Amino acid sequence: MAHKTSGLSSCLDLWREKNDQLVRQTKVAQNLSLSLRRQQLVQDVLEGLRGLLHSLQGLPAAVSVLPLELTVICNFITLRASLAQGFTEDLATDIQRGLERVLETQEQQEAKLEHGLRGLWDSVLHVSSLLPELLPALHHLAGLQAALWLSTDRLGDLTLLLQTLNGSQSRASEEPLLLLKTWRPLAEESDGPLTLQDARSLRGVLLTAFAYRQGLRELITGSLPRALSSLHEAASGLCPWPVLVQVYTALATCLRKMGKPQRAMLYLVEAVKGESTWGPPLLEASRLYQQLGNTAAEIESLELLVEALSITHIPEAPQLLIEVEFLLPRPDPASPLHCGTQSQAKYLLASRCLQTRRAEDAAEHYLDLLALLLDGSEPKFSPPPCPPGPCVPEVFLEATAALIQAGRAQDALTVCEELLNRTSSLLPKRPRLWEDARKGTKESPHCSPWISAIYLLQGQAWVQLGARKEAVSEFSRCLELLFQATPKDKEPGPASSCEHGCTSDVVLQQLRAAALISRGLEWVASGQDNKALQDFLLSVQVCPGNQDASFHLLQTLRRLDRRDEATAFWQRLEAQTELPQEKATRSLPLYLETYLDWIRPPDRETLLEEFRTSLLKTCEL
Amino acid sequence: MAGLALRVEYLAGFCCPLGGLAAGKPRVLCHGAEIFLSTGSELVYVYDREGRLLTAVYKFPGQVWHLELQALGRALYVLCARSGIYCLSLDQAGRSMSQDGGSDRDDRDSEDGQVGEPPAPVIAVDPDACVLPDATLCAFVVLDNVLVTLAQGPSQWKMQLFECPCPGEDPRPGGQIGEVELSTCTPPSGGLGAPAAPHFLPVLCCASPPGPRVPRGHLQGPGAVTLEEALFGLLFGADASLLESPVILCGLPDGQLCCVVLKTLVTSRSAPGDPKALVKILHHLEEPVIFIGALRTEPLAEDTEDAHSDCLVALGHHGRTLAIKASWDELGHLVPELREYGVPGPVLCAACGEGGRLYHSTPSGLCVVGLAQGGGPWDPTQPSGAPGGLPSLLCPASLSVCSVVTLSVSSRAPEGGTELLALSAGGRLMTCSLDSHSEAPRPSRVSVVNAGRKIKELLSGIGTVSERVSSLKKAVDQRNKALTCLNEAMNVSCALLSSREGPRPISCSVTTAWSRLQLRDVLTATCLLENSSSFSLDRGWALCIQVLGSARALDLDSAGSAVTYTIPLDRLGPGGRREVTLPLGPGEDGSLDLPVTVSCALFYSLREVVGGALAPADRLKEPSSEEWPPGVLPEQDGVCLPLSEHAVDLLQCLRFPALAPSPLQAPGRPGPAGDPIHTFLETCRGPGSQLAGPESLRAKYLPPSVATVRVSAELLRVALGDSQAGVSLCPATLQWLLAENSTCDIVRTQALSSVQGVAPDGTDVHLIIREVSVTDLCPEGALQAVEIQLESASLANMCRAHHAVVGRLQRLVVQQAARDSSPPDLRLQYLHQIQANHETLLREVQTLRDRLCAEDEAGSRAPAQRLLQVYKQLRSPSLLLL
Repeated sequence: MAHKTSGLSSCLDLWREKNDQLVRQTKVAQNLSLSLRRQQLVQDVLEGLRGLLHSLQGLPAAVSVLPLELTVICNFITLRASLAQGFTEDLATDIQRGLERVLETQEQQEAKLEHGLRGLWDSVLHVSSLLPELLPALHHLAGLQAALWLSTDRLGDLTLLLQTLNGSQSRASEEPLLLLKTWRPLAEESDGPLTLQDARSLRGVLLTAFAYRQGLRELITGSLPRALSSLHEAASGLCPWPVLVQVYTALATCLRKMGKPQRAMLYLVEAVKGESTWGPPLLEASRLYQQLGNTAAEIESLELLVEALSITHIPEAPQLLIEVEFLLPRPDPASPLHCGTQSQAKYLLASRCLQTRRAEDAAEHYLDLLALLLDGSEPKFSPPPCPPGPCVPEVFLEATAALIQAGRAQDALTVCEELLNRTSSLLPKRPRLWEDARKGTKESPHCSPWISAIYLLQGQAWVQLGARKEAVSEFSRCLELLFQATPKDKEPGPASSCEHGCTSDVVLQQLRAAALISRGLEWVASGQDNKALQDFLLSVQVCPGNQDASFHLLQTLRRLDRRDEATAFWQRLEAQTELPQEKATRSLPLYLETYLDWIRPPDRETLLEEFRTSLLKTCEL
Repeated sequence: MAGLALRVEYLAGFCCPLGGLAAGKPRVLCHGAEIFLSTGSELVYVYDREGRLLTAVYKFPGQVWHLELQALGRALYVLCARSGIYCLSLDQAGRSMSQDGGSDRDDRDSEDGQVGEPPAPVIAVDPDACVLPDATLCAFVVLDNVLVTLAQGPSQWKMQLFECPCPGEDPRPGGQIGEVELSTCTPPSGGLGAPAAPHFLPVLCCASPPGPRVPRGHLQGPGAVTLEEALFGLLFGADASLLESPVILCGLPDGQLCCVVLKTLVTSRSAPGDPKALVKILHHLEEPVIFIGALRTEPLAEDTEDAHSDCLVALGHHGRTLAIKASWDELGHLVPELREYGVPGPVLCAACGEGGRLYHSTPSGLCVVGLAQGGGPWDPTQPSGAPGGLPSLLCPASLSVCSVVTLSVSSRAPEGGTELLALSAGGRLMTCSLDSHSEAPRPSRVSVVNAGRKIKELLSGIGTVSERVSSLKKAVDQRNKALTCLNEAMNVSCALLSSREGPRPISCSVTTAWSRLQLRDVLTATCLLENSSSFSLDRGWALCIQVLGSARALDLDSAGSAVTYTIPLDRLGPGGRREVTLPLGPGEDGSLDLPVTVSCALFYSLREVVGGALAPADRLKEPSSEEWPPGVLPEQDGVCLPLSEHAVDLLQCLRFPALAPSPLQAPGRPGPAGDPIHTFLETCRGPGSQLAGPESLRAKYLPPSVATVRVSAELLRVALGDSQAGVSLCPATLQWLLAENSTCDIVRTQALSSVQGVAPDGTDVHLIIREVSVTDLCPEGALQAVEIQLESASLANMCRAHHAVVGRLQRLVVQQAARDSSPPDLRLQYLHQIQANHETLLREVQTLRDRLCAEDEAGSRAPAQRLLQVYKQLRSPSLLLL
């Protein structure tokens, strides 16, 4: 019997030595740069740990060997998680195996298995009170379990585990953050087997990650004061710089939403002091300036953002430990901290310029963006801003609008030409279309609004160039497409990412009205008031909510000296204006919004005033 | 097949593992006169067509899964399993050859015994050539300046985009410029097990729109196609068309066909792509995707020169084929025309050729189908019914080249024809030239050169045919063998089932004996299978022995434990015997649940015999785990023929240490008797001393349980008469009772009428036989009877012995009744009384048992006592067996 024990202990020493050697080997690999050699070394360590675990678990579970076995499991999981850059569900089976081994020594494997891992943890921690020598390693494993549950968002299980770990006295507390703070993982003995990462540092990582996740969640759901305190907690923990930048940015977002721009600014200044990751704070700064109404500063921060994103960030070799980054939620485009890519930032900059009437800048930025997107010779790809932004054709249309706005009609025509060229194969075949139109086919081919919008903008460019005939023909072409389009039948047709967003009836209505008004204005300019009147009348019919059309109609009626009709129409209009003005441009694409600005009658109020006085005069007369 | 001219030319043979190459991993690529080839092993061969020799062999650290050529950069990219992607410069090949010529010769000799070419140097690839170390990579494709890889994550496929690392450059860690996760995948293995090699690799294909970026005539690998604008826009949307971005098509082993627009694959680690926005699922084939490609189905217009593909095709492993074309409906809409076909599977590999032809290889042969207008692959001039339409049905035409595991369309195609490079499962590299509009061979003047070429062609043809013949022959042989086996099995089954009476042609007898195994006494059963039929039991037959212990008496719910042993009979010819010895017990706890039933049966496994013939030919084994088409045979189908059933009861297991000729060789008691010290102590205590166990205590202080059975002496005498002549009745009865006991020779020699035996659990069992006369039963006076008295300190053993004795007597009575002997007159009155007594007793038993069930443990003691008493009375010798 004595012989047996000594055999076991010498085996135990051997296994322990193997574990320690593998851990030291990992530390060596850690210091190598990212290369094949490092990968091979780490892979060797992983295989070594796997083999060691195999030999340990090949024997019946024994209390004397279990601390080492659990430590090896912890090391194995730590290395796998750090290689995969995150926790995956299959690591749970490794943890489960370890727990079952603990229960095996107590001969109650079947206990509570139906409750899954949580039940297993309950039984194990219950048993382990009888086996104090297992506790340090079990706490370490529990830390890894907590990390796994944190990354898979199983907060209920996590809370229960922490409650059990903290003992029964704190069972009243339900707040996982508090539980995590009060949890004191038992230190592994100094002469115990080596670990890749000890339980205490794991707890620190968990604390920061948990606080940050919770803060972000509260920020998104809008409970700002709680978000602030959670984020403060995250910022006070030890965390790597890129994470700290994100925490500071989230704090700034929170403060901005709470109406404290000065304090928000302080955090942003702190965040951009680092060496990298300027994206999120710069984007947040632009939002802050936009809220403050400081357009110049807003545009400047967006320009900086574009520049910051053009620097390729070379990631360092990842640590072979569990890091805060692994436990953060997956980057989500809807998150306030998402700063996107360079072209997305560029698009934001360009569209903000267009919205704030900085036409020259907008045009330049749009042209840069198109070059970035289309230049194939560039070795680096830059993805288009879609989605959540507009689809690529709309970017082209916005660029055209910016160019027209900046007075560069010829360039605008070139952009439209390019757009038509590139999508020519997708457009309905023209000859057939004409044939069908002649035959009077009832059904009409589906055609995306952006295709008609190309002609609309082309027409406007011709207007600017003074080529009236071309303009009218483009508008007519546009109208023809628009009146064939039936927005209801979605398929078939070449789908684009913008199909879902803006094929609504509203867009179609506004496009039709815009095209009719534009053509009407051309008739007016060439003195064909009757034709103009027809178009204006039609535009009022297709889009009754559009007041611009009504004003143009009114003006034309007055010019044609059709007083009675004008009066009747004016009265209707007056009644309408007294109603609360609904915002017509709710969900319109930016190019259309810009376009509608161009065809707005410049002097609506004076016109109404004139009408009122002239009517009064006629009444007096 | 009219108009088809196929010319097969063998170029070289490469080593292949036993059983042939498996499909899925071998690759062959052609670049000018150079052919790059991997067979799924660690080696990549470079073969020069012009010189017809092997110019270089590269050895990689792991299995090679994929090859890609970047012609512009003159680089060869190699995916090595569990290691990563390596990049070799094509110009390097010649240089290294002269430098390293002759190295690693031993290696080559051992692995490359089959190559008929002059030996080429094996160059071990430097680990520094690894441009992308990643152990999880499963597929990749190279574009002009980017590398798209597909890695298998723990739960998802991950597509990554890297800047193309150039050969010789240091692998740059920051080269990754995009990443997106595809659909979920099942992990190769859970838990601790090292990940297994996937059966099917995913397939990648890069589809580009026509444009200035893709110069015409630009050499494209098999993984890159250029699609017509309309089809491209229809499949991938306006954004991709506008951006003129290449699109990566990805066919996964689960059958999913999805696409990612390359330019939208986002950069930066902080924002990996959103799968919902970036990945579009085109189709689901519901079987592993083997091939994705594109071809031109419509004849080119006169004025255009660009031959961009207008039809996308994807092939699944079981032959499901998807074809997508763009067409305009009558209103001018662009609509996708999507068709699914089925071609005979399993598909090993495929390639797209000129003229709308799709080549695919199955184990039985290389086939071609035409997707061009009109459907007829050999008749592109036929007027088509629906312009632009896909054929409604595919008719595969066999090219009579079998077992091709990888295909590639050669860039050196002759005018109007197609040249395929193929690697057969036997490791042979060949070119298949197809000439679609070849005229009938005209007799021409035969020049010497012509004749030489002609002969070569004929020889090649013969080679192809012979390879095909050998594979078909093998299949036929296998089927014949299976049929022969089935026939024999039928004969055996008929013989066994038809001989219900009389000796069976195949019999199995069971005997029991005690033997000492591993310091413990174990009761073993020896089954002797005798084949006295004229048939032999061949492969597929197995002897199944089921050992069924009886349920424990006190444990009413538990069924007896059953163990089944299956012993394959390799070959048991007529007259052959096979002996099998099995341990029956006692188990670890010293218990043996007697009586034990040993049933023997013959089992014939259809799976083992017929399976091979139904499965595809061996050497072209599919990479899938399933060995034959599902649904043909259920999991454990076979024929089961029961042979015999034998009950082992207590009487067969008794040992008689007291009678043993030498006391020194007395068998030790079961249990932990293995310890020599224990044995020593036991010997010291002397033969008179008793064991101190509870059983022996009970034996010492409690009166033994007793049961008696009375049998009419007449009955016994008649029954035993023939065998036990010359012995008085009592010893004869004892001998008869213990006939099946292997140790009963002693009883026989000593002619005992009482004997003390040891039961398997170590308690004593006393058997006493005496003659008595029964007076009050028969009106004619006293009847001579034999009383068998059973005594044991253990109630359980007494019951088992009683059960065994009664069982034997029952069989005896049944035999006698069959012989129709008339019983003597009986006093019916007396019999009635006995019956009435017994009935009251039985009723009492019933009520007591009901009470026992109803009451809890504490209250059940009294009824239990009473029950024992009643049982005792029931066993009391009031009834005589006549």
